[in-house]
Amino acid sequence: MTTSDDTRLAMQGTIEALTSGGGSEPVVVNLGPQHPSTHGVFRLKVTLDGEIVQDAEMRIGYLHRSMEKLAEERTYTQNIPFTDRIDYLAAMSNNLAYCLAAEELLGIEVPARAQAIRVMFAELQRVASHAMANGTFINDCGAWHTPLFHMFRDRERVLDMFEMTCGARLTTNYMRIGGVAFDLPDELLPTLERFLDDMPENIANYEALLLENEILHARARGVGVISPEMAINSSLSGPVLRATGVPWDLRKASPYCGYEQYEFDVPVGERGDCFDRFLVRMAEVKQSLHILRQVVDALPEGPYLADVPLHARPEPGEAYARVESPRGELGFYLVSDGGPAPYRFHCRPPSLINLSALKEMSLGGTLADAIVTLGSIDIVVGEIDR
Amino acid sequence: MTTRYDAEAAAALVNDAISGAACVDGGDLYLDSTCLVDAVRVLRDGGDSDLVFLCNLTAVDYERHFEVVYHLQSLDLNHILTVKARLHDHEDPALPSLTGLFHGAHLQEREVYDLFGIRFEGHPNLQRMFLWDGFPGYPLRKDFLQMPGDVRAGLPGFPHEREENAWPVPGSVPQRPYHPNDPAPPSDVAAVEGEEAS
Repeated sequence: MTTSDDTRLAMQGTIEALTSGGGSEPVVVNLGPQHPSTHGVFRLKVTLDGEIVQDAEMRIGYLHRSMEKLAEERTYTQNIPFTDRIDYLAAMSNNLAYCLAAEELLGIEVPARAQAIRVMFAELQRVASHAMANGTFINDCGAWHTPLFHMFRDRERVLDMFEMTCGARLTTNYMRIGGVAFDLPDELLPTLERFLDDMPENIANYEALLLENEILHARARGVGVISPEMAINSSLSGPVLRATGVPWDLRKASPYCGYEQYEFDVPVGERGDCFDRFLVRMAEVKQSLHILRQVVDALPEGPYLADVPLHARPEPGEAYARVESPRGELGFYLVSDGGPAPYRFHCRPPSLINLSALKEMSLGGTLADAIVTLGSIDIVVGEIDR
Repeated sequence: MTTRYDAEAAAALVNDAISGAACVDGGDLYLDSTCLVDAVRVLRDGGDSDLVFLCNLTAVDYERHFEVVYHLQSLDLNHILTVKARLHDHEDPALPSLTGLFHGAHLQEREVYDLFGIRFEGHPNLQRMFLWDGFPGYPLRKDFLQMPGDVRAGLPGFPHEREENAWPVPGSVPQRPYHPNDPAPPSDVAAVEGEEAS
């Protein structure tokens, strides 16, 4: 039998199935690994009945670099660049969480100026990361690239500030055990002031453009809903958890780097749907700007790095330190055996664990809704796979 | 500010419900692996403990045994507890799954299974997650491929304390990186000394 015969028979079968009127048959669709909606190399295997999602199974590992194993062979300081590459859209937050865990093991006090600089860059990183998250989310909702590039303008300015401070834009490697790598350059504070002056107007523009938009409401309201009980039981964290109305923010609940000195609110949603996640992120950007203003106004003088030996050997023990990264609870669990390298290095990745309830969020919705839901969770595949 | 939930109090709470299920060692709560699910249920549903949020689940290979580590958090009372379970079977370690209590345990237990080879009994979908089916070995075990540079010093009870293990040591590294598209090859191994092949 020739190939054309095969094709013809297959087509006949399809036509018979379509015309026989005997109900529909589930279809399996692969989203990804290379697909614009997956934000990286992530594959979602969706079983569809017509357009309705019956099952969603994720296949991951395409970006697995086994960082946890690699980190066992390198000293505590040498591991900092790995943390950039775990979540490459929030490298500062990852640097910070890892350094906090190492400092807990080593028992190091961080100088006040270094703490304030850390808060400054963690919050700038949140502004940049949420700009990316919201921009790509709107992209997934169908507003092809225009809002995304509006938000990229702001992110670009943050990355410029990173570049003038530490020479890198994405993989910053800026935090050090005991402080930060460099003091602030002279031109940073004026640039930051200008940024803080301009941002409220930009945000007002985005809100005017998006919040009342009928298409966005149709695409995101009531889509991917999850209840607060289910969100807590699924270990969700960050904006995904707060959108369900649970005011859980580690900057408030377990302050680090002196977050207790700054006044800010924890925005929460009401319905736990995709639109609420978007709103929570928008509101968090405003709070971040508010914190940044306070940091700039009360930036302490003094050393930016504590006196730490280059090859520190912590006492045997373990530490679990966590921060509120833009995506949620980012934790590092380190075990020391007294040697120069961690005996065990584990990253608690919010991107992976926030996917725990993806199936429950997507079931019963359409395929297009599943894509919006995935976009609203704001995953970074480098952090999922590590 | 998040406080640590007292391990002694947690042990008393668990032992009241299931006698002999918990003990405290070095400030951490150790649970008996046979009644792990019931013990964690006591901690989750107890009014004083209220540990409803599974922050983190991971494992550590101490070579003589595995330790599975759970970080449990109460959101209302804002305290955190580290719970551990020891596994002495190195060939086929197994532990009851917590997926019935915490939906968030699904992916984290799969990750531990994938990288450590610890089976979680009762997990509905215990498959490899990052690596493919048939991948040889479990990479985060300490004996995986015996990577070079075993710098381990200081702590009694940890292996690799021999003098000849000073870094760098001659060892073996895989010549070819694994790739998801590869059909599960056992990789070729070259002996190296420093950077030179020998």
